[in-house]
Amino acid sequence: MSSLPRRIIKETQRLMQEPVPGINAIPDENNARYFHVIVTGPNDSPFEGGVFKLELFLPEDYPMSAPKVRFITKIYHPNIDRLGRICLDVLKDKWSPALQIRTILLSIQALLSAPNPDDPLANDVAELWKVNEAEAIRNAREWTQKYAVED
Amino acid sequence: MDSDIEMDMESDNDGEYDDDYDYYNTGEDCDVERLDPKRADPEYFEYECLTVEDIEKLLNERVEKLNTILQITPSLAKVLLLEHQWNNVAVVEKYRQDANALLVTARIKPPSVAVTDTASTSAAAASAQLLRLGSSGYKTTASATPQYRSQMCPVCASSQLGDKFYSLACGHSFCKDCWTIYFETQIFQGISTQIGCMAQMCNVRVPEDLVLTLVTRPVMRDKYQQFAFKDYVKSHPELRFCPGPNCQIIVQSSEISAKRAICKACHTGFCFRCGMDYHAPTDCQVIKKWLTKCADDSETANYISAHTKDCPKCHICIEKNGGCNHMQCFNCKHDFCWMCLGDWKTHGSEYYECSRYKDNPNIANESVHVQAREALKKYLHYYERWENHSKSLKLEQQTIDRLRQRINSKVMNGSGTWIDWQYLFNAAALLAKCRYTLQYTYPYAYYMEAGSRKNLFEYQQAQLEAEIENLSWKIERAETTDLGDLENQMDIAEKRRTTLLKDFFPVDA
Ligand SMILES: [Zn+2]
Ligand SMILES: [Zn+2]
Ligand SMILES: [Zn+2]
Ligand SMILES: [Zn+2]
Ligand SMILES: [Zn+2]
Ligand SMILES: [Zn+2]
Repeated sequence: MSSLPRRIIKETQRLMQEPVPGINAIPDENNARYFHVIVTGPNDSPFEGGVFKLELFLPEDYPMSAPKVRFITKIYHPNIDRLGRICLDVLKDKWSPALQIRTILLSIQALLSAPNPDDPLANDVAELWKVNEAEAIRNAREWTQKYAVED
Repeated sequence: MDSDIEMDMESDNDGEYDDDYDYYNTGEDCDVERLDPKRADPEYFEYECLTVEDIEKLLNERVEKLNTILQITPSLAKVLLLEHQWNNVAVVEKYRQDANALLVTARIKPPSVAVTDTASTSAAAASAQLLRLGSSGYKTTASATPQYRSQMCPVCASSQLGDKFYSLACGHSFCKDCWTIYFETQIFQGISTQIGCMAQMCNVRVPEDLVLTLVTRPVMRDKYQQFAFKDYVKSHPELRFCPGPNCQIIVQSSEISAKRAICKACHTGFCFRCGMDYHAPTDCQVIKKWLTKCADDSETANYISAHTKDCPKCHICIEKNGGCNHMQCFNCKHDFCWMCLGDWKTHGSEYYECSRYKDNPNIANESVHVQAREALKKYLHYYERWENHSKSLKLEQQTIDRLRQRINSKVMNGSGTWIDWQYLFNAAALLAKCRYTLQYTYPYAYYMEAGSRKNLFEYQQAQLEAEIENLSWKIERAETTDLGDLENQMDIAEKRRTTLLKDFFPVDA
């Protein structure tokens, strides 16, 4: 494998030295481009109290192309599908090489606080979120308790 | 082969058109029409087939003109012209009104100008600003930061000397290597004139000269220039790429309408406005709707693709191997219509009833189920005729090939000369032209509202259809070099065609 670009080294150092509250990203010991990520559910959201595992991978041409991020923990959210794939503009067409792992993870955290059912990835979830938000939020809470809370 | 006929028909029309025209449009000045080909021929279209070099020259002239007036680089002039459909006058006017707003909407400058200048609406201030940017919209940071002081690039996180940095009017500064890799990544994805600044949420556009200054690999430079050229042509309302396979020709016309352009290099004919197959009298939106519908309903319509039908009299199976819809049973010699299976003898007077779809007058009171079935029936009526004429066109092409063999043997047997028989090819070409228009009258009729205008349309459509089948019948059976009868038939068919186009083809330029 080619040597790690300076940009990735810098970003990793900063993530370790000044971690973002509620977000924990640690590089894999065998692959410095692969990160084990933990995002805690934001307060006042249906995901509060949950601890969500994600994986983040920096492709070969990072930062020219966006990191690949996926939820490993099951989550009931209109912009996250059953496979944990995330519908987020900054991971797609709004990606800019000046964005960082840190900013992406912050955007994901913000997505948990403010789901956007008008730009859905999980259609059934988004549908319910639109027609019966109370029930959708109840489901999200249930899933959080069931899958994202360690006993 | 088409052009000869068109010439003939045009000159014929000049003299004889007036009576017909008056019949439908009283009160029009016929003299104007005689003088102006645009009004005499509803399909008249002036256009030019240009090469890539011609177009480059044409675009460069516009760019240079703007350079001289606004004192900016060709690269920025291109961005402005691209944004304004290559309308120099509009650019200059906007520049004089509010240069700052122009630069912002063209995404040369960011909306709030906190970076280098306070917002200014005067042209002088804005052009002063452009000059400070080297009149090009980008600069090395050298002017702002001393060259010897090092600076950190936010993308690669490396520290380098100030002169290795470039920024656009927004001031977002990145190192040369990062810009270069970024440009190549974008070009690889087919993006050229729309490459934006690397900073997040910044929509300032990268002008051509910065890309070409930094990207040095010849393959990538070529790609960039090709993609940019495509964007320039597509943004120019008077230019169209020829849709012919692998054709490099660009068609230019100042009349942006649904007229037919025929490429001089590959002979592909297409609608100048939408680029699809020519579709008069139907307009661009309607033909698009129709073709989408046909593609969506292809399952339902599949059964129509039959090449054989049973003779309505003796019930023997008959294969259609010519374009003509006037069929004669090889077994019992019964003459009938392929479309509706009606007797051809009474067909002449009732042909109207064959092309027209008779709406159920009571449909509004019927159940949803009956309405749905009725809607399908109606669609299939029009689709069947559309599809049939398309097939007839192909079959008539085969007829011409057979004709060639037949004429060949006749000439060899001393019956006439090649020249004597040429008229048959002209007749076949005219037939194809007429049938093509007839085919495209069906989507037009399908979407037409019921009423007197639709009645008139269907009347003319039926007239055209009848004359076309007569012409097809006569061509398939031409045995002599006597052209009087056939020429007369050609004349009538073409006259019906132009009359219909004149009354219904939207000429909206
Ligand atoms: Zn910028
Ligand atoms: Zn850099
Ligand atoms: Zn062509
Ligand atoms: Zn068109
Ligand atoms: Zn028969
Ligand atoms: Zn018929």
